[in-house]
Amino acid sequence: MLAPRQMSRLLIVASRDQLDPVIRELYRSHLFHVEDFVVDGREGYDGFSIGKPLPGAGEVSTDLVKVRTIENAFLIRSSEIEPTGKHLNEELRSKIEQELPTIEHELGELTGRRSRLEVTLKECEQKITELLPFTEIPMDMEIYRGYAGLTVLAGYVSKEVNIPEPAEVYISAGKARRFMVAVFKNDRRSDVDRVLLEANFQAVTIPVETGMPRARIDACNEQVAQAKAEIDQINRRLDEIRDGHREFLVACEEILKADIERAEAPLRFATIGQMFVAEGWVPKDRAAPLKDALNGATGGRVFVTELTVGEHDPVPVEYDNPPFARPSQLLMDTYSRPKYNELDPTIMVSIVFPIFFGLILGDVGYGVLLLFMCLGLRKFIKGEEGQQLIAVLRNASISSIFFGVLYSEFLGFPMPWPYLLPSRHLNIGANATGHGPNIPGLMMMAIWIGIVHITLGRILSMVNHSRQDHGTHRIKTILANVGWILMIWGILFLIWSMVPMPYMPDLTGLPLVVMGLNVTALIGIAALIVGIICIARESALEIVELPTIFSHALSYSRIVAVGLSSVAIAMVVNYIAIGMLIGPQLENITLVGVIFIIMGVLVFLIGHVMNTALGILGGGLHSLRLHYVEFFTKFYKGGGKKYSPFGLNRRFTED
Amino acid sequence: MVTEVAAAVITDIEVMKASQIGMKALAAAIAIVGTAFAAAWAEMAIGSAAVGATAENKDIFGLVLLLTVIPETIVIFGLVVALLLIF
Repeated sequence: MLAPRQMSRLLIVASRDQLDPVIRELYRSHLFHVEDFVVDGREGYDGFSIGKPLPGAGEVSTDLVKVRTIENAFLIRSSEIEPTGKHLNEELRSKIEQELPTIEHELGELTGRRSRLEVTLKECEQKITELLPFTEIPMDMEIYRGYAGLTVLAGYVSKEVNIPEPAEVYISAGKARRFMVAVFKNDRRSDVDRVLLEANFQAVTIPVETGMPRARIDACNEQVAQAKAEIDQINRRLDEIRDGHREFLVACEEILKADIERAEAPLRFATIGQMFVAEGWVPKDRAAPLKDALNGATGGRVFVTELTVGEHDPVPVEYDNPPFARPSQLLMDTYSRPKYNELDPTIMVSIVFPIFFGLILGDVGYGVLLLFMCLGLRKFIKGEEGQQLIAVLRNASISSIFFGVLYSEFLGFPMPWPYLLPSRHLNIGANATGHGPNIPGLMMMAIWIGIVHITLGRILSMVNHSRQDHGTHRIKTILANVGWILMIWGILFLIWSMVPMPYMPDLTGLPLVVMGLNVTALIGIAALIVGIICIARESALEIVELPTIFSHALSYSRIVAVGLSSVAIAMVVNYIAIGMLIGPQLENITLVGVIFIIMGVLVFLIGHVMNTALGILGGGLHSLRLHYVEFFTKFYKGGGKKYSPFGLNRRFTED
Repeated sequence: MVTEVAAAVITDIEVMKASQIGMKALAAAIAIVGTAFAAAWAEMAIGSAAVGATAENKDIFGLVLLLTVIPETIVIFGLVVALLLIF
């Protein structure tokens, strides 16, 4: 909690003949995050070089390429397939040798035939479009060609043409674009061209065909239908093959990928002579079992030791959170994974994010809608990140229902109980009565949330600096954070001593001490001065940042502002749908009235669906932003490396 | 005579009150329009750059999302001012 999982640095040394058992064991355990060896003259690694892949890597790669080609042809994605059972490794290997070539052969033949048919299809369709204009002239296609002294031209003209005699002209009926065929002597070409140019002549190539154009088109159509039927048949056969072998193929891919990763693992190790060295990271509590397992796998012919972890070592980071906080790791990864020696704020995000979301959306109706949406989507969305997002949204929607009860809101309507939080009900509509929203109260609530959240951020920053820094720098940075907290609360004390405000202590009545200031004002001024000194001692440039105290605290007013805009939309939708369209018609139902009522229902549905979508965007993005910009900038840097252990989460296969 | 003057004064006060409400509403509208324009303008530039950057490198999506919503503060301050003006 509040910190990433503790890691140990392991050094594994063994002779080269133990490579295979060591790699197998590391792969099986799925714990060892390999630190890739780079030849960079690191101390203690003189003369070491990168290892060579295990024998057999080449053939496995070829097989994997084959499997992936087939998968691509069938559009199979392993992430989209739910495993029905696990395939045994040995069975699979023998099947790969027997079945893979057959599938590959059949696939090649079928796709080859399909592409040939597709070419034929294209050719026929092309021919049909070429022949189509000539159907207007009932003449054998052979008549158009084979003359030595005559020229035949076909094309479209936009107006009447008078080709000088002697010439034979066929021109179709019609107004704008008329098809024309002209036959004339070769020596009159230039005259004819001039006439045609005036008529905007667009030439058409005369297809080299025999027989009547209509008959030819019919024949082509028949060919097209035949080709289409055959393509359909091939597609059906391909679907059959895909459905029959889908799981086998993804299992093959998994097993071959595992083989390759194992075979190529020595490329990440350092070798010298007959020895190899592997360095990497293991969760602290799993280091001892892994050591034992390695000793067992090699019969004790391996040397495994834990190295001390240096402060600047690139330790991979694995979250260590209770189950309810795990979905929020997605929000953390979107920003940046925490560094190893940094506080992991996932738990705080997992609690505060839904609260902010609920405060913004705060409506029982929208909360229930969102909750059902999440529960429905859970079955359709695959992949870890998608599931995490759904879980985050689910928590947020539960929080919306909770705050909806407190705000007493249901799709913009008031619920039959009083508000437990400041009212957000606007007076919208012709007959709106009531107190209207308690804007000052809401604002103060938001500002209070902001002040507490920012102060928490500053306290966390002190913890982070006390862990990461040393000497006087550490004291300065911690004091600077104290300074920031003093500034915030000093300003608050000053305001309290001068202006009475709702939901804030009223200290204006205290006796004056000096210069019209009372005790709290003096405390506030003192805090301000100490605060500025503390901040300036760390870095004088930070003084420029002082206005962010106001802007960041006020930024939390978005909790109210975005929420109110969503309430306003909901109430406007209700007013238009019920107050203006449905309500008046219900008093005296007529045929036109029924249409109005249907329109009203439509407006109601569409309006609230849109407002739900806006609510997710507004509630989600703004709560997230309050975390990222206002909260994280106080203490959190991130930039940690993800812990990705050597090995594979096997979904389709087992030993 | 006195009642007539009193009635005229009361009408004047009512007109003044009404025009005050109108001015408040106008001021609130100006606050929203100006800040919404500013936020939209700022987000336009940041958003298009962000989409471009994300196309180059998908990993920075979180960061650019953050940068894109930063100017949203402007319009929210506008909304806050408008709400405080009206209520």
